[in-house]
Amino acid sequence: MIGPDQALARPATAAPPGPRGAGGRRVRWWHLSMSRRRALTGMGLVAPSLVMVAVFVLFPLGFAVYISLTNWPLIGPYHFIGGQNYSLLIHDPQFIHSVLFTLLYTGIVTVPIFVLGYAMAVLVRSNRRGATFFRTAFFLPFIIGLATESFMLLLELQPDSGAADYVLSKIGLAHQSTAWTVNYGLALAAICVFVTWFASGLTMMLLMAGMQGIPTELYEAAEVDGGTWWQKEARITLPLLRPNIALALIISVIGSFLAFNQFYILTEGGPGTSTQPVVMWIYEEAFVQYHLGYATAGAIALVVVIAIISAAQFYLLRDSSSRAVR
Amino acid sequence: MTAATATRPTRATGPARRDARGRAGYALYLTGGTLAALLFLLPLVWAVLRSFMPDSLVTQAPSGHDFAHLTFANYSGLVKANDILHYTLNSLLVAIGTALLTAVIATMAGYGFARFRFRGSGIVFALVLVTMMIPFQALLTPLFLEMHSLGLTNSLAGLALFYTTFNLPFGVFVMRNTFLQIPWELSEAASVDGAGLARTLVSVLRPLILPGIATTVLYAFLFSWTEFVGALTFLTSNNLFTLPLALLNLEYGSVGQVNFGYLEAGAVIAMIPCVLLYLGLQRYYVRGLMSGVIKG
Repeated sequence: MIGPDQALARPATAAPPGPRGAGGRRVRWWHLSMSRRRALTGMGLVAPSLVMVAVFVLFPLGFAVYISLTNWPLIGPYHFIGGQNYSLLIHDPQFIHSVLFTLLYTGIVTVPIFVLGYAMAVLVRSNRRGATFFRTAFFLPFIIGLATESFMLLLELQPDSGAADYVLSKIGLAHQSTAWTVNYGLALAAICVFVTWFASGLTMMLLMAGMQGIPTELYEAAEVDGGTWWQKEARITLPLLRPNIALALIISVIGSFLAFNQFYILTEGGPGTSTQPVVMWIYEEAFVQYHLGYATAGAIALVVVIAIISAAQFYLLRDSSSRAVR
Repeated sequence: MTAATATRPTRATGPARRDARGRAGYALYLTGGTLAALLFLLPLVWAVLRSFMPDSLVTQAPSGHDFAHLTFANYSGLVKANDILHYTLNSLLVAIGTALLTAVIATMAGYGFARFRFRGSGIVFALVLVTMMIPFQALLTPLFLEMHSLGLTNSLAGLALFYTTFNLPFGVFVMRNTFLQIPWELSEAASVDGAGLARTLVSVLRPLILPGIATTVLYAFLFSWTEFVGALTFLTSNNLFTLPLALLNLEYGSVGQVNFGYLEAGAVIAMIPCVLLYLGLQRYYVRGLMSGVIKG
């Protein structure tokens, strides 16, 4: 590494001559005060991450605002058109549909993911034998990832050969040749079940962490007072778990808002564009239709929504944790 | 960490009657838990079995005969006809590159934020963390234009740089906390002994920061191994495709009928490293979850 970094950890006062000899650069470095040297070293250490964030996040973010104010095509000249993209956006039925569809999808999956995740957290929060295995099993779908599992599911949603039809026709809930991916309602239902299976493990982990942090004395005291399981859960666990519940819900909601893989792989947004979530609208508008300016205006809207949700997260977490202390 | 704290107070072993009730409760617990676990594991086991079925069976309704004709045909066909090993290698290169680069940059930054005071340190840390709130899915267009002009589109290195950036906030946060937990005296003692920065990190602090690095590496690898929308946007030539894009090619690229046997086998290949890494390094993963910052 370069000189400043090598020298950083040396003590301020009795600076011994460097074992590698003193080059011209080294001498000047030694003439700096200790605090100055430490400051420079610290800046040097964080510089690479700052550069990465500046190049791949902050600049693109500013650039996105600029692009959204132009009629940027993929190739060729562009013109500054002010807020025109935005005013088009709020009257674009396809964009509105993708927003509403994303909201509907988020609204549907959030509740089962949370309820199932909570139930599983209750099951695995103890140290009983078997809890670790259950924890691993419940969390495994999340680890493997939506893209991989969407490819696996594609076959099982096929008419006549898929496991979904096989199982559901055995119990009389669906016809053996139901084609799940080409029907709006069926595709949405299948994907919601699939995503619940995929994501509830994450909610479980987040809630379990909070549950394990609650002092056992509280439960012991409640037991002395003859509290039932339900009472303990409602009066102790739930209130103390508020920050974790907020975190789990918000992570789940943001994840649903950014849905892409499962829809792109399983339905390609179809039939038509009926199952097209917002991120897919942005992708198609930008890289299939080549309306980069217009697509980016939609993307900015998404950033704003996510930022509001994230801000709400910080607000809720701070609020509830201070309340829990009191 | 998870094993250390129990929520339930362990019941005092009282009279025999209560003991029996506890045992019945435990049996119920095991039964319920096992049934639920099957619900999560069976679809994955089923997918693995499917990948060993010949094409003639894959496209038929499941039946009891399915298990009598298991074969490696899908895997060998996938290797021969679709060069799946090449795409697996692409995915591995990107995931390992991302993991290593994230580990190095996050370790440096974590050390810098935890141990050195300088003007603007708080602002820079906030800037890095804010990245976590910005979904990269919404920055695809400016990133594409920017990376294209930098020659980073259609490049595995460019994709790895992109992945690294969006793994950094989490990594920096974890590494900063890791360094904050190390007693000051330890790194100071090393510096009194005349050890430079790199030597302090490598020989003195290494055992203490290794868990943090393992967490960072694990998250970065799992994130980039089968990331989909970024790869779809930034890679256009077929020979650079990562696994999920190769699978997408199997789905949409083939003329006529999708070869589901191949698709299933490819998905199983994509699944294996995740399962192995998670089973082997589970405690590091859980450590990351408990650190308080999770990617949205």
